[in-house]
Amino acid sequence: MFEPFVDVVPSFFGWLNQGPLTMTIFLHTIIILPMIWIYKQEKARIEKEDA
Amino acid sequence: MAKRSVWSDNRFWQRSAAWVTGFASILLIWLTFDTIPQITMGTDADLKGGVTKRVPGPTVINYKITYEMDAKRMHEIPVIGDKELFFGRDDWSEEEAGALLHLGKLGSQAKNCMDCHTLLGNGAYYAPDLTKAWLDPAWGPEGSMQAMTGKSTKEEAMAEFLQHPSTYPTHARMMPDLGITAEEAKGLVAFLKHMSSIDTNGFPRNFGRMQGAVNGK
Amino acid sequence: MASSLTSESKKLATWYFTFAAIIFGAQLLFGLVAAIQYVVPGFLFELLDFSIARILHINALVVWMVFAMFGSVYWLLPDETGIETVGIGIAKLLYWIFVAAIVVVILVYLFIQVGPADQTTIWFITEGREYLEAPRWADIGIVVVALGFVFNLYATGMKGNRSGIVTVLMADMLAFAGLYLAGMGYTDNISMDQYWWWWVIHLWVEATWEVFVGAIAAYGLITMIGAHRKVVEMWLWIEVAMLFGSGILGIGHHYFWIGTPEYWWEIGALFSALEPLPLVAMFIHVLYDWGKMQGEQEAKGEAKSVITNKPAFTWFVLNAFGNFLGAGIWGFFHTLPQVNLYTHGTQFTSAHGHLAFFGAYATILIGMFYLAVQGKNGIKVMHATKKSIWATSMIVGGVVGMTIALTVAGYVQVLVSRAQMGATWAGFFDGQSGMWFAQGMDWRLVMGVITFLGFLILVVDLLSIGKNAKHER
Repeated sequence: MFEPFVDVVPSFFGWLNQGPLTMTIFLHTIIILPMIWIYKQEKARIEKEDA
Repeated sequence: MAKRSVWSDNRFWQRSAAWVTGFASILLIWLTFDTIPQITMGTDADLKGGVTKRVPGPTVINYKITYEMDAKRMHEIPVIGDKELFFGRDDWSEEEAGALLHLGKLGSQAKNCMDCHTLLGNGAYYAPDLTKAWLDPAWGPEGSMQAMTGKSTKEEAMAEFLQHPSTYPTHARMMPDLGITAEEAKGLVAFLKHMSSIDTNGFPRNFGRMQGAVNGK
Repeated sequence: MASSLTSESKKLATWYFTFAAIIFGAQLLFGLVAAIQYVVPGFLFELLDFSIARILHINALVVWMVFAMFGSVYWLLPDETGIETVGIGIAKLLYWIFVAAIVVVILVYLFIQVGPADQTTIWFITEGREYLEAPRWADIGIVVVALGFVFNLYATGMKGNRSGIVTVLMADMLAFAGLYLAGMGYTDNISMDQYWWWWVIHLWVEATWEVFVGAIAAYGLITMIGAHRKVVEMWLWIEVAMLFGSGILGIGHHYFWIGTPEYWWEIGALFSALEPLPLVAMFIHVLYDWGKMQGEQEAKGEAKSVITNKPAFTWFVLNAFGNFLGAGIWGFFHTLPQVNLYTHGTQFTSAHGHLAFFGAYATILIGMFYLAVQGKNGIKVMHATKKSIWATSMIVGGVVGMTIALTVAGYVQVLVSRAQMGATWAGFFDGQSGMWFAQGMDWRLVMGVITFLGFLILVVDLLSIGKNAKHER
């Protein structure tokens, strides 16, 4: 799954880009995941308002 | 009464929008900090020491540049080889080469090159891409362009053409005379040679590989 | 002309729209010159070369859109905030500075064209970087005007009622103005140059401008079909999340080949692949709200249309289609690196550029012109005239025709010049002389002429529609 480094200069993102899709999975996930937390907070707020 | 859904709640989407925007911006800035050092121009010492840079220093004009398939990266990359004369010299110092490149890059902007040509594939599509123009076989020893100008080296041929483009019948679509001086032309050729040494991740593919007859001609 | 406008902000908006329409005409005119040069290469050779015609074509494009965007904000601010725009006096002064600067820049492009290879050229004649050719003195002027504009928006938004639409615009316009700074520098390093250059170009047209369009569409739906604000603003926030979520890192699709590291392939491909999503959302949103409001009306037993401004709403709906088709589909066509390696910098890009700028921006801004005509003439319900229908059909038909012609031309260019010949000088001209390419360019010119004639009818319509007796006042 992890391939030897091929880009010219090693760097954090270059390293992250070694396997198929690792880079994009990482970036998409850290953008989307915290929305779960926002969702839970807002759900609690709505329940409190409706109670 | 059914409970209200978070999915149709404005506040949820407003907060999500703010988060996604803010965080994507931070990631872009982070990536920028990763990329900038990688595309910063190298130095003369890098070239002498054989250190590969994505964007080599200006003294790359002292070397022969080729565009070769890299088995590991599976696309073509510029390869910096032995010393090569450029306007009769292969000992352009870092300052001299830097000044020449500076003149050329300024010239490329002052003459609006990008509004007919593409540079690194960006610009207008009225005239050929200049990314690897330095390596174009047409300007090589057997190329039609070099023969047309009557010069004996690639750089002199290019510089001559740049100064009097509309006197050379190249194509129905000709390059206009832009008042390029001899010194500016030299700078522009240095700029083109430098650009051909930039590692563009294999763009353009198969550059100059196809030679000879096309469409039976 | 008697005006029913009491708001100074709206009066200023009409000034902005007027100048925008004039520059829109200039854009089309110079586009025609460039299109003729593809067919007849000697046309105006060494008088008004292709490079100059194209600079004027694309700079006029950006300028008229920015003018119309500023105008749109000045137009909607009093409606949204419930108050007169704060600092309107400064805004009017800045308007004239802006107009004067643009006129000078255009005259310099036209009559001086190029300069010697030194910094004075960069400061006073041209910066020579596609779209951002404006010399540096003008850059500074633009920044000053943009700061004044942002000040108007913030001061008004903070003093009056700050709706969701105004909040989005405040954040968006600040980013829009701030990003311009990224394109003002000079460097000898062409890779670095293009890295920052894309921060302006991409983050404008694929992020901040798109969000602007979302906000304007939201405003239009509320004012023209009486859509419910809460629903419209929820959509707007979803669109902002999706547009910025995909668009900001989608910048990676411009970093495939400019010397930047290989990891941008993956980022560029898989973020920009999501860029059409919000455009689908906008499309659904506009049509869905329209159907919903019309349905509510009919449920009340009234068969009448809910639309209070037919020509403007037509352009807003065309925006929903055009944005999705031009920016979304035509953009997605060549956003993956395996495709882009061959299509980058060909007429394919040009095809996308034409339909995207038109579909995503020109349409909705023309819609705003019609909204301003309605407001200025105190019309309650504005109907389409024969001229508005002809103008719309010819402009849309013309631009779609140009897009198809350029796409076909791009096809042969990609196959011959790129895939087969590897982008050399000889390869380039072999591609250009292909029959499909040459015919594509002929058709592009024909379609360009149709677009221009449609524009002339549009101008006549904008000037006369307000006086037509058929509207409800």
